[in-house]
Amino acid sequence: MTEEKEKNPEIVGFACSFCTFKASEMAGSLRMKYPDGIKLIQVPCSSRVDPAFVIKAILDGADGAFVAGCHPGDCHFIKGNYFTRRKIAALKEMFDAFSMKDKLRLFWVSAAEARRFVEKVTAMYGDIKEKKNAG
Amino acid sequence: MLGKMIGKVALERTLGKFLEDDSHLVLGFEEKGKEVGHRIFKNDLKGFTLVNPFFSANGALYLRRLFSKGAEIILMLRPCEIRAYHELVKLNQIEAEKIVAVSIDCAGASSLKDPGKPRTACQSCREKRGVIGDAGIRFDAKGVPWLLPYTEKGEEFTRLIEGEAEEIPPFPDKEERGTEKFSTNMEAFSEELAHCIMCRNCKAMCPVCYCIDCVFNGDEYLPKGDALLNKVFRSGSLEMPQGKELFHMIRMFHVSQVCVGCGACEEACPQGIPLTKYFKGVSERLQSMFSYMSGRSLEEEIPYLSFQEDELKDAED
Repeated sequence: MTEEKEKNPEIVGFACSFCTFKASEMAGSLRMKYPDGIKLIQVPCSSRVDPAFVIKAILDGADGAFVAGCHPGDCHFIKGNYFTRRKIAALKEMFDAFSMKDKLRLFWVSAAEARRFVEKVTAMYGDIKEKKNAG
Repeated sequence: MLGKMIGKVALERTLGKFLEDDSHLVLGFEEKGKEVGHRIFKNDLKGFTLVNPFFSANGALYLRRLFSKGAEIILMLRPCEIRAYHELVKLNQIEAEKIVAVSIDCAGASSLKDPGKPRTACQSCREKRGVIGDAGIRFDAKGVPWLLPYTEKGEEFTRLIEGEAEEIPPFPDKEERGTEKFSTNMEAFSEELAHCIMCRNCKAMCPVCYCIDCVFNGDEYLPKGDALLNKVFRSGSLEMPQGKELFHMIRMFHVSQVCVGCGACEEACPQGIPLTKYFKGVSERLQSMFSYMSGRSLEEEIPYLSFQEDELKDAED
């Protein structure tokens, strides 16, 4: 009997360098653990993420992608994340039209919320892993 | 509302008079034997026709990056073409100051590939009525054209035509069609794209896909040569031409808020891929999120270029 190997998903995350990326660094310095499959890409602001990046990540084989930035109203560039919210909400709607809504998430994590960051990415990783291994 | 009844002769006489000035132009349709196509008329109005039963390209395509150097232009086009023109004005691709846009009631057109049959895009058209632009030409129940001004520029144009303005009759409006949410999946989409040859004609003929520096120029999204081999060594065997879904999905998102659903992409496709279904379906879905309709008016802001502080509460996970 061969033991089935568990499939580990890979998730690409676009993290704003002023909030979410700082939170991930803080999570590291606090020795909190989050899954290895989360690959963070640092962007100057979450609104730098052209939805084309997310589409490319998903179609080139990532099991999921997330865009994360500062809470609305706290953007370093004053209003960048309001634009992000519109763009990513629309992108989610488009992914919904292609029946793959569960592959994309949008988080707001501030620089102080290391625990929230770990919780969010772990939950997303868990959900996607479950789906991947079920199929 | 007041409007003017206009015969073909009166309209042509007015446009002819307008064209006497050397810097005045009219963009409209020209009849050449059995064929009808776009033409920019200068000095005379030979062969001018109001209605074009065929759709070849969206006329707004020719207006892209038009910053009229003193030229005054009257557009006599279909509603979908005027809508695309509105979007390009909002995207700062056209200087609208000296342009009078007149939309003409459209009964739907047929494809040059398949004459006689109505096109997919026309069957599911959101706005066939000439109620868009500075003025509109609408046909009443007897098929008599009426000129209706909507803006100041339109009023000015209406004044050029002889006769008194009268109360307009009711126009035979078609019923609204249901708003069913478009939904598909990646497998079906890939299957439809099986014949795509990545010629990018759809991109070239799209009136609102206007970026000079397209993301698909260069090797980042669609690698060639060495970059392509690197990708194969990195991630395994690749179907050729690769990146079909990537190209169409990214383009679909990029034009989503401004897509007017004219179906010029499908018309330009040499492989006959039903692109309208996807582009129109997705863009209508994304536009309805923001209660936006592309090209409806010049005042409405394009959703991606604006925001409200308190909205989209359920976008966040």
